[in-house]
Amino acid sequence: MHLPSLGRIRALAVLAVLFTASVACAEDRPKVTLVMKSLANEFFLTMKDGAKAYQKEHPDDFELVSNGIKDESDTGAQIRIVEQMIVSRVDALVIAPADSKALVPVIKRAMDAGIIVINIDNRLDPGVLASKQLSVPFVGPDNRKGARLVGDYLASRLKAGDEVGIIEGVPTTTNAQQRTAGFQDAMEAAQMKVVSVQSGNWEINKGNAVASAMLNEYPNLKALLAGNDSMALGAVSAVRSAGRSGQVQVVGYDNIKAIAPMLADGRVLASADQYAARQAVFGIEAALKMLKGEKPEVDGDNVIQTPVDLVVGKQ
Amino acid sequence: MKTSSLGTAPTAKRAPGRLAFGTCFGLAGALLGMVALFSLLSSHFLSYATFSTLANQIPDLMVLAVGMTFVLVIGGIDLSVGSVLALAGSVVSVAMLGWGWSVLPAALLGMGSAALVGSLTGSITVAWRIPSFIVSLGVLEMARGAAYQLTDSRTAYVGDALAWLSDPIAFGISPSFLIALAVIVLAQLVLVRTVFGRYLVAIGTNEEAVRLAGVDPRPYRILVFALMGLLAGLAALFQVSRLEAADPNAGSGLELQVIAAVVIGGTSLMGGRGSVVSTFFGVLIISVLAAGLAQIGASEPTKRIITGAVIVIAVIIDTYRSRRTGRWN
Repeated sequence: MHLPSLGRIRALAVLAVLFTASVACAEDRPKVTLVMKSLANEFFLTMKDGAKAYQKEHPDDFELVSNGIKDESDTGAQIRIVEQMIVSRVDALVIAPADSKALVPVIKRAMDAGIIVINIDNRLDPGVLASKQLSVPFVGPDNRKGARLVGDYLASRLKAGDEVGIIEGVPTTTNAQQRTAGFQDAMEAAQMKVVSVQSGNWEINKGNAVASAMLNEYPNLKALLAGNDSMALGAVSAVRSAGRSGQVQVVGYDNIKAIAPMLADGRVLASADQYAARQAVFGIEAALKMLKGEKPEVDGDNVIQTPVDLVVGKQ
Repeated sequence: MKTSSLGTAPTAKRAPGRLAFGTCFGLAGALLGMVALFSLLSSHFLSYATFSTLANQIPDLMVLAVGMTFVLVIGGIDLSVGSVLALAGSVVSVAMLGWGWSVLPAALLGMGSAALVGSLTGSITVAWRIPSFIVSLGVLEMARGAAYQLTDSRTAYVGDALAWLSDPIAFGISPSFLIALAVIVLAQLVLVRTVFGRYLVAIGTNEEAVRLAGVDPRPYRILVFALMGLLAGLAALFQVSRLEAADPNAGSGLELQVIAAVVIGGTSLMGGRGSVVSTFFGVLIISVLAAGLAQIGASEPTKRIITGAVIVIAVIIDTYRSRRTGRWN
C-alpha cells in the first residue's frame, strides 16, 4: 500500500532509460508498447497473450513491450507506466486506459514527444480529448451493439411485459454503461419491464449477491442480464439456490471459458464475443499502419470498429 | 474511579461470557430494527426466502469472522484472508481440473495450503516480532500472486462436485450454513470455557504478564494464525461450492468486510476482548444491510455511504458500552 519514494522512481526511470537505450542501439524495428489495465483480469491477460502471439508471427515488423497495472482502478500506477514509456522512447503506445479522463494529460505528453497513440478497450473521453486538441483513434468493439444483440436474443425467448433485472459492471466505467444501455435498448424495443439495475462490480460473488436480492424482491422475474460472464456465473448459482432453475433465464457478455459448460446445458442462454484476444492486435495493426505514415481507416467518430458476435448455447 | 483498562484486568476470567450477553442484546436490537426498516421499504424483504438465501450466502463470511475474532483477541490482525481464500480456491480448482484429483483430497489440499499460509504469517510475526499488520499485508500480496500464478489468472469452472455443500437440505438451509454455525458454537466454547481460550484473552490483554506467569505465548499466536488460514480455506470451499467456479479475484477487499463485522460485534481492535457470538451478529448486520439495500434497489454510492456509516456508528456505540462495562466491573 506504500508507494515507492520519488527517489526510487527516479532511479528506476534512469535504469529503464539506460537499459532501453542500450537495447535501442541494437534495434531498428519500431518499438510498440502495450499498456493494459489489470493483468489479473482474464480479459486483459487474453489480450496480452494475443498480442504476444501476433508479435511472434511478425517478428521483423516490431518489438513489443507489454505492461499492466495490479489493480484496475489504480490510475496513478498506469500514468507512471506511460511516463516511463515516454522516457524509454517507444514509437507507438497502444493503451487500455484505466480512466477515460485522468489518462488524457499524460497521453498528450506522449503525443507531444512524437509517440503514436492508439486507444483500445476503454474509450478516452472525447470531450477532454477535444479540449486538448488531441485526436486519438479508438480501436474497439461497440459494447452497446453487442449488448443489444444479446438482449434481442433473450427477448425472443420472453413475452412482452415480462420482468427482467440488469446486473451492471462497475458503474463508473464506460463499458458497463454502454452494455447496460444496450440491454435497456433491447428490453425497451421488446416491451420488457426492467425492474432493477444494480452493480455486481464485474465479480462472481457480488453478482451472486445482487442476483439473489433481485430474485427475492421480484418473484415474477423472468431473466437476469449480466454485464459480464463472471456476474452471469454468480447469477446462475443464485437462480439455482432460489430453486428457480429453468424459470429465470441468464445472459452474460465476453464469452469466457468458464461459461462454456453453462451455455452448453442452457443455464446461460447467450453471451457476446468481442474477441478479447484480438483487441490488442487490432490496436497494434492500426499503430503499425500509422507508423508507416498511412492514415487509419476510422469512421466519422474516429473509431475503428472491431467485430462483436452473439454466442448462443443450447437451442 | 476505575478506568476501564484497570477494570478489565482483574476480571478477565469472566469478561468474555458477560460481554457476550450484554453485547448481544444491543446487537440483536439493531438487527431487528434493520429488518423492520427494510420490511417497510421493500415489498418482499420480510419473507422466508430472503432469510434462507441470506443464510446460504454468508457461511464464508461467518467462518472468516470467527478466525478474525481470535486474531483480534490476541491483539493481532490478518489482512490476508481474502487472498488466502482465493489461493485455497485456486488450489482446489487446479487439483481437480489440472491433476484430476477427486473432490475430497482436493478440498483437503486447499484447506491445508490455506492453513500453511496462515501459520507462515503467524511464524514470521512471532520469530521477528513484526506487527501482524505488515506481515499479513505482505502475505496478502503473495497469496494473491500465487492464486493468479496457479490459475493463469483465469476463472475456472469447477462444476457441481462440491455443490452438495451449498444445496439446501431442509427448510432451505444448506450444510455449509450448518457447518458455519457449528464452527461458531465450537469457537465460542473454546474462547470462553477452555484454558486455551483464556490464554488467548490473556495474551491480548497483557502478553508480558502471560510470559511472566511462565506461559510461552508464541505457539498460541502461531496457532491462532494457522486457524485463521484453515478457516479461510473452509470459506473458499463454501464459495467454490456455491458458485461452482474458482475465481482468482475472489475475496478481494473481503478482509475489510470481515474486520468490520467483527468490530461491529464489539471485539476490540486492541486485543483482549471479544466474543464469537457477537461477531455472528456483526456478520448478520453487515449481510442484512447489503441484502436489504440491494432489494430496495439502492444505488451503488448510497450503499457504500450507508454501509460505512453503520460501521462508524457501531463503533461509537461500542465505546459507550465498554465504558459502562468498566463501571460495572
